Amino acid sequence: MSELEESETLDGRLTQLRALEERARQMGGKEKLARREAAGVMNARSRIDALLDPGTFSENGLLGVSTVFDEDRDKTPADGKVAGFGLIEDRMVGVVSNDFTVKGASSSMTNMKKIGHIKRTATDRGFPLIFLGESSGARMPDNMGSEGMGTMLGNDPHQYARERETPWVSAVLGQCFGSSAWYSCLADFTVMRKGGVLAVASPALASLAIGQTVDPEDLGGWKLHSEETGMVDRVVETDEEALVEIRKFLSYMPSHNGETPPVADVPAGSDEAAANIPQILPDSRKRGYDVRKIINCVVDQESFFEFKPRFGRAAVTGLARLDGGVVGVVANNPIAKAGALDVAGCEKVTRFLVMCDSFNIPIIMLVDTPGFVIGIEGEKKKAPGKIINFMTALQMCTVPKLSVIMRKSYGQAYLNMGGGRNSDSVAAWPTAEVSFMDPRYATDVVTWGRNASDAEKEAIREDMERNSTYLGLAQIFAAQSVIAPQDTRRYLIEELKIQHLRRSRGIGRHKLANWPTTF
Amino acid sequence: MSITNVSSEVIGSVWKVEMKVGDAVKTGDIIMILESMKMEIPVEAPADGTLSELKVKPEDSVDEDQVLCTIES
Repeated sequence: MSELEESETLDGRLTQLRALEERARQMGGKEKLARREAAGVMNARSRIDALLDPGTFSENGLLGVSTVFDEDRDKTPADGKVAGFGLIEDRMVGVVSNDFTVKGASSSMTNMKKIGHIKRTATDRGFPLIFLGESSGARMPDNMGSEGMGTMLGNDPHQYARERETPWVSAVLGQCFGSSAWYSCLADFTVMRKGGVLAVASPALASLAIGQTVDPEDLGGWKLHSEETGMVDRVVETDEEALVEIRKFLSYMPSHNGETPPVADVPAGSDEAAANIPQILPDSRKRGYDVRKIINCVVDQESFFEFKPRFGRAAVTGLARLDGGVVGVVANNPIAKAGALDVAGCEKVTRFLVMCDSFNIPIIMLVDTPGFVIGIEGEKKKAPGKIINFMTALQMCTVPKLSVIMRKSYGQAYLNMGGGRNSDSVAAWPTAEVSFMDPRYATDVVTWGRNASDAEKEAIREDMERNSTYLGLAQIFAAQSVIAPQDTRRYLIEELKIQHLRRSRGIGRHKLANWPTTF
Repeated sequence: MSITNVSSEVIGSVWKVEMKVGDAVKTGDIIMILESMKMEIPVEAPADGTLSELKVKPEDSVDEDQVLCTIES
């Protein structure tokens, strides 16, 4: 800083300012940047350039550095986190891009103020927040000792309060420990590049702590998070693809929870595709099919954006457009576990409902499920709690909810998928089949533990085999409409017009907005 | 020329195989039918080409994501 003191004229100071700015833009230096480039990995600034509309980035804190130790002032350009504002498709967003070439983008006194400022501004002024994650955790030795801890960590009682006022997005673009991991868990949408690691602490620290060699992929790789934990929504091969995914996700989202999502043009062919549904739906009730084919026939062409495709596969969740407007689709997928909902499926649907309700996105449920998976494995994972979380979330959603019973809808799952007044309107296809459980199981359940004769069992089975068809639902008004499969798109478009939240101009009450993100 | 692996969506068993090695396949053709949770799960060709290898036979158990056969395009 001595140069600043020596310079007395404005010109001199401006020249010096330009030099300091230029130096900050060099990040961790040519060598580190070249190594990343050779590995095909983008850097903190090229990621922002590719993410935002060209030339729209307004940086904040370019000259921020670490000041805890004097010798770090010259070694911490932008203090390892590049932050600011810019446009995506002409809409404002806030961005924090971790610069791993500067002290591993570790969290420090100055850069945490930068994050706080961007987050606060995005929330107060109503626009999305994007974290491009790649960070090592708290900076050392700055955080060490009681004074380090007392000074550095926290000091912001609202830092991790998630109230879903605006959409948050996170990308796992490398090693993500500490803040990059926390923000990935808090985000509404998390995309991960293969090779990235999302974990509480680094493999090195984990190895030291438990005395075993820990493989980074086992600790927090893409397979773990896309298939086992479900904490990542989409997986991509490259940084560039991750940034495209973020732009696409945001195209479905309002800027904040006081707005409805943007409406788009309807692609050609969207109204014709529904005619193909009868060919996709098998004649045999025992034959599985991929429900995503049916979703693609119902929604606007090429608009289905699936969440967590490899996690809890018996349920399908995703954003889509219907006649140009955004909807959230929740469907059972009979190709996986016959569409029977397991713990992973419940978690996936619950989290999706929370997001849709928070951002005024109507929910479409497409039902074909034999019920919930039962058994010891599920109970160990708190299956009853997961099922009722899902149920509570659905009942607390205040956006329009439409349910279409395509085929099976059994037991409690009938309620979880919108039956029994758990949606604003239920439509049934003529192929709908609704009951409490399969009559054969029902017979065994009520005769369990006693020697019932075959004749008695047969009589009980006949009693159990009550009308399970669409007609029963229609006659007692448990279904408000019965529709042909090929009319589903038209029905949903019309029904959404009826159920539109006119009194609040499409804005829901957001009763789920401060639910925990991982439950 | 490229090889496409066709994987199982489910844990289950092979019920019947509808094609043999060397058959021409089109996207969406049913190559085999699995059985899982008392449901028939069709396995469809994800690409046009020739069925180049069958890695399972009827009654074999299969895991989620297990490669069932390959298509050469």
